Amino acid sequence: MMGAFNKRITGWEWLGAAAVLILLVLLPFVASSFQLRLAQQVLLFGGVALAWSLLGGFTQYWSFGHAAFFGLGAFTAGLLAQALGHGISGPVKLLLGLALAALINFAVAAVMAMPVLRLRGTYFAIAMLALAQVLGEVSKTFDIFQGSMGFVLQRIAVPGLNSVQTFYLLFLLFAVANVAIFVWVKRSRIGMGLTCVGQDEDTAAMLGIPTERYKLLAFVLSAVLTSIGGVLYAYSLAFITTDTVFRIDISLNLILFSMVGGLGTVAGPFIGAAIMIFITQVVLGGLLHLHFLVTGAILVFIVIAAPTGIIGLRNRLPGLARRATGSEART
Amino acid sequence: MNGVILAQTLVDGLILGGIFALSAAGFSLIFGVLGIINLAHGIFVLIGAYIGLAIGRETGIDPLAALPITVIVLYVGGYLLQRTLVAAAVRRGSLMSSLLITFGISLMLRDLILLAFGPNVQTLSSSWLLPTLHWGSVLIDGARATGLIASLVLLGLLSFLLYRTKLGRAMRATAQEDFAAGLCGIDVDNVYASTFGLSAAFAGASGIIIGLINPFVPSDDNYWTLNAFVVVVLGGVGSPMGALLGGLLLGAISTFSSQYVGSLYPNVFIFGTLFLMLILRPNGLLGSAYKGSV
Repeated sequence: MMGAFNKRITGWEWLGAAAVLILLVLLPFVASSFQLRLAQQVLLFGGVALAWSLLGGFTQYWSFGHAAFFGLGAFTAGLLAQALGHGISGPVKLLLGLALAALINFAVAAVMAMPVLRLRGTYFAIAMLALAQVLGEVSKTFDIFQGSMGFVLQRIAVPGLNSVQTFYLLFLLFAVANVAIFVWVKRSRIGMGLTCVGQDEDTAAMLGIPTERYKLLAFVLSAVLTSIGGVLYAYSLAFITTDTVFRIDISLNLILFSMVGGLGTVAGPFIGAAIMIFITQVVLGGLLHLHFLVTGAILVFIVIAAPTGIIGLRNRLPGLARRATGSEART
Repeated sequence: MNGVILAQTLVDGLILGGIFALSAAGFSLIFGVLGIINLAHGIFVLIGAYIGLAIGRETGIDPLAALPITVIVLYVGGYLLQRTLVAAAVRRGSLMSSLLITFGISLMLRDLILLAFGPNVQTLSSSWLLPTLHWGSVLIDGARATGLIASLVLLGLLSFLLYRTKLGRAMRATAQEDFAAGLCGIDVDNVYASTFGLSAAFAGASGIIIGLINPFVPSDDNYWTLNAFVVVVLGGVGSPMGALLGGLLLGAISTFSSQYVGSLYPNVFIFGTLFLMLILRPNGLLGSAYKGSV
């Protein structure tokens, strides 16, 4: 595990990443509209799950309320677009929305971090859940936020591409940016510090790791990236209400995707998102009423059978074989 | 006139609070003894209400008479659930995995309720309700008063169980120090499962009472889970008294904010209170900081 911090990224790894990227860029020109919509979701929610992992993937600070930032971003962009009126073109509005959402979420997360990051474990998780619920209720209750009736966002049109292709490429950009940031954080001192916080926070602080600063940084970065995902999602839907963005299942899906794929890994959230979206929307496409039953069953199964996710399962296989022979004592 | 509104709001708040307290007592118990947050708690509450509904439909038994059956069914269900899934999660790893497990269970159970009963709004009605009372110009709704009395009786029963029986003593010992309790010959695994079963049973009982007062739908479970959490955070973990205090406070917050601020605002106030309490005093008003917020 410790080797991961200073191991060089090899030429083969660069090559593999480049190949995957090229395939992903070419995908919108060969795939059907339905397939592309699925890929869109994998990229967006995988990317947001990766943003969640900046804090939750390394430490025990598992936010159960990242929909708070997702929704805050979406609402910021929506209200801004409405305030700007029809005189300004869609792409400009999108860019302004992204900038403002990032700014507002930066401020909100920085202020919230102070009290919230003092809580640990389940208390942190539930405080975030409450934060998401408060923001959702506020957006619904106060008329100026229009949460219950929602608002329409202008369609973004790029010549030569249809809307699904356009947003696919935007989500791809978002995912790639998140991957770059995640890899950078993971390989830096911050990532090592956060991993130490995850193993034993008090000991880490005692050894001189600036735990508070690293947690704050990861929390704020995670919030800002999540809000950017929210803005893009809002524009891709073109119409949002409180119930489309401040959804408890968005918060939980982020955790689920990370868990299924492998916590704290780069590819994990995307693998998890791909598997879960494939199962719930393709395999169970005609059985929407079983959606939650299957999601719940997979969640339970993963936690019990493979707590380190698919990636962890691959790494753990030799250990499992050894345990099967009964030579390992139970701890 | 203002005095009457104030008195009425207070009475409504306290009655609602008593019922909130019962719905949260089981949640508090699991939190205190097992140290885990049971995100499936709200669904246990709903299952109680739906079992009452199903028994009423099939046999015509009054929901309040069906309460013991509900309690037994949920006790057994909760016991088995803990023995199989939840215990495995707790043994597997962090307490966070128990959050995920219980959330997964709640998703599955909610879907099962949807399949069995459909998404429609349901209500329970009982012929054993007290008549509506007029006390001066303050009105005391009969259904709510019945619910309050049933809640207080059940909370008393829980207190008796915890402080006067052998199982209760074993549970309190396990809550304090599970390892030492095991050394003293207590079957800790069994205590854990019994606690879970008991918690589910009390949640189910509160579900029937809630069903008598409010209409319910399968997607209400998040509301009841969060409500239970607010009650526990307000009152403190593990004791029926804490749950009662937290419940009464939550009831008062809920009715006062809808009376004096606006009927849409109670949720904002409830979750706002939860958030503030977590930050200012995460162990609850009656709780001690001994175990810490870890």
